[in-house]
Amino acid sequence: MSDATQNRRAPDRHISIDSEELAGRSYPYQHDISLVEQIDLEESTPGPGINWLEDIHLLAEDGVPAVFDRYSNSFVKIHFSIPPGREDEIARKVLMAHLQSGNSYGIQLKGKHAKFPQRTLGPWVDDSDLVGSDWHPSTLAGWEQPAGH
Amino acid sequence: MEQVAVGERRVLYDARGLAEPDAEAPRTSRIEGGRAVFDATDFSTRLINLEIRRLLVEEKVTDITVVNPGAKHSVGVAILERCKIRFEGSLGYFGVGLIDGPEVEITGRVGWSVAENMMAGVVVIKKNAGSLAGAAIRGGDLVVMGDVGARTGIDQKGGTIIVGGKAGLLTGFMMQRGRQIICGDVGPGLGDSMYDGAIYVGGKVASLGVDCEEAELTEDDNEMLGGKLGYYGVEAPGSFRKFVCAKKLWNYDSLEPNERKLVL
Repeated sequence: MSDATQNRRAPDRHISIDSEELAGRSYPYQHDISLVEQIDLEESTPGPGINWLEDIHLLAEDGVPAVFDRYSNSFVKIHFSIPPGREDEIARKVLMAHLQSGNSYGIQLKGKHAKFPQRTLGPWVDDSDLVGSDWHPSTLAGWEQPAGH
Repeated sequence: MEQVAVGERRVLYDARGLAEPDAEAPRTSRIEGGRAVFDATDFSTRLINLEIRRLLVEEKVTDITVVNPGAKHSVGVAILERCKIRFEGSLGYFGVGLIDGPEVEITGRVGWSVAENMMAGVVVIKKNAGSLAGAAIRGGDLVVMGDVGARTGIDQKGGTIIVGGKAGLLTGFMMQRGRQIICGDVGPGLGDSMYDGAIYVGGKVASLGVDCEEAELTEDDNEMLGGKLGYYGVEAPGSFRKFVCAKKLWNYDSLEPNERKLVL
């Protein structure tokens, strides 16, 4: 069996996706705990308590501590040392920093694909820029709308 | 809608299947001091939703009251920012679905699938809810002060569902994460095919579903229950029992990482 055939049948599978791969870089808050310490989780979430962050926990990806960003379906790796007993708290703060800064790839996609007016930074930052106000469906060149529509 | 005879070439109905494809927000709200009120009696679902969105986006109002929602379906959906919305009346099917951030209060009842796919936020319903309340929610708190129908929290992937009264059959069906707190009795098939998460029941359990078993209530559980019920002023029963996945049907280990992410 040739190498090419081998590669087609059993390609080098890369099945994990992290935010660094999507963005092509990591962000300072992934390396420096002091950049996330000041984030108030209760203030950053609706209602009493920490709301949706209750279900966010420190996980690991590729053997590195990481928090899952559901808005881009990727992991945000944490490269600094996490104080014992504060694993989930720090994971939540890193995730909130990622969302509030607009670095989540899912947020970046909003600018192109949002179909109705909404805030870029959604529920994480008050009064952020508006996207989706001028969305038009893509059209196929040469296609004409049927009569009566 | 004009009738079209068989064989007639000109199409006069809306083939896109939308009732009001070119509707515009009615702009009838009374706005005062960052708060807005409008009467939805004569509005369709689309007009109600357009007016809510206009208030949030154009007027930057963050406290909205909708009077007389008339149990219309799919009202208050896809609100993706922090705000407070109060519905004075009842909602129909799929009320306040697909939301991410708002705090919603509904003074009446709701139909099927209220708050389905909620990502974050708070939804409080003062009376009863139909079946499938909180279907596939991923986060946030859904509070039903009254009773709920069948399959509450079906495919729940996070968040907390609190029911002040009774719950119907197959409560927590295929639940994957999160918490349910049912203060009253629950019907047959509790937690059927659940993968993870926890269901707390204050009343009687008619029967357990496949792969659901009772677990020991911990101090952390009691703390969480006290906190959640206290937040929303739900009267706590004398005691709770906790139900979890028995893990006899678990096959997570063989899942691909990308499939695993679906339940994160």
